[in-house]
Amino acid sequence: MRSQWLRWLIVPLVVVPVGWLLFTGLGRDPHLIPSPLIGKPMPAFAGTTLDGDPFSSADLAGRPAIVNFWASYCIPSCVDEHPVLLDLAARHGDELQMVGVLVNDTPDGARGFLARYGQVSWPSMLNPDGRITIDYGVTGPPETFFVDAQGIVVARHVGPLTRAMVAQELAALGLAP
Amino acid sequence: MAALLALGALVVLELVRPAVAPTQAEQARQIADQLRCPDCQALSVAESETAAAAAIRRQIVEQLTAGQTPEQVRAYFVARYGEWILLAPPSPIAWAIPVAALVLGIGVLAWWLRRGRMRDAPITTTPRQVLREQIRDEVERLDA
Repeated sequence: MRSQWLRWLIVPLVVVPVGWLLFTGLGRDPHLIPSPLIGKPMPAFAGTTLDGDPFSSADLAGRPAIVNFWASYCIPSCVDEHPVLLDLAARHGDELQMVGVLVNDTPDGARGFLARYGQVSWPSMLNPDGRITIDYGVTGPPETFFVDAQGIVVARHVGPLTRAMVAQELAALGLAP
Repeated sequence: MAALLALGALVVLELVRPAVAPTQAEQARQIADQLRCPDCQALSVAESETAAAAAIRRQIVEQLTAGQTPEQVRAYFVARYGEWILLAPPSPIAWAIPVAALVLGIGVLAWWLRRGRMRDAPITTTPRQVLREQIRDEVERLDA
C-alpha cells in the first residue's frame, strides 16, 4: 500500500522539475528572454542620421518614443513591419517620437530600402560600429524598444511589429491606439 | 632513470612557476570565448564571423584598453543582453541540476527494477507444503 502512493509521488517529483526546466528552455532563445533594459533608462546614443544630420537620444526627451532597429537586408520581417511604422507615424506623429537605428547596414542599402518600400518622416541612426546595437542588446533586426516620456524602457519587441502589438504598447505608454 | 628525473623536475618547475599574467589579447580572446554570438546562438563571439560578433570583439578590446577588468567586461554585456549572452551558466546550480536529475532517475529505475524482481521471485513453497504446515500447526494446537 505504502509503495503505491510512493510511486504516485515519485513520478511528479521527477517529472515536474524536469518538465519545468525544459519548458523554460534553459534560457537559450533570446526572442523569449525579456530585455534587461526593461524598467531602466534607455541607453544613450549620439551620432549621424541617414540624412547626414546629428541626432542623439537626448533629442527624444519629454515624449514617448520608439527606437526601431532595422536593416535593408532584413527581409521579409522589416518589409512586413514597414507599413505598420508608417501608419504609426501618420497617426501618432505629434505625440510619439520615432527613431530608427541601422544594424550592420550601409547608407546606400538603407536608402534603397526606403525608396522601394516607402520614405519615412523619422530619422535613422547610421550606427557604423554597432555600438548602439550592443548597448540595446539587440540580437538582430527588427527589434523595437518602447520608451516612455521619462526615458524609461517599458517594452522590447523582437520581430516585425504588427498593428495589434503596437496598439498594446501604445496603451502601456498612455497613448490612445 | 635520468630522463624520468628530468621529467619530474620539469613538472615540479611548471607547478611552482609563478603564473604569467595573460596579455590583453589573451584576455580579449578568453572573454570572446565566453560570450554567445547574439545572431548565431550556437557559436561564441570568438568563433563567429558575423558583423555582430566582430562588433562585440571590438567592444571587448575597447573596454580592456580603457582599464576594465574581464569581470567588468562580461558584466557590461550581461547588463545589455541578459545572462543568456554567457555561454556557460554563471551559477553552479545549473550544472548540478542535470547531474542530480540523472542520479535521481537511476535511483528510481533501480528501485523499480528491484521491486519487479522481488515480485517475480520464485515461490519456494508448494501448495502441498503449505497445507502440510497448516495441518501440523493444527495438530500441535490440538495436542496442546
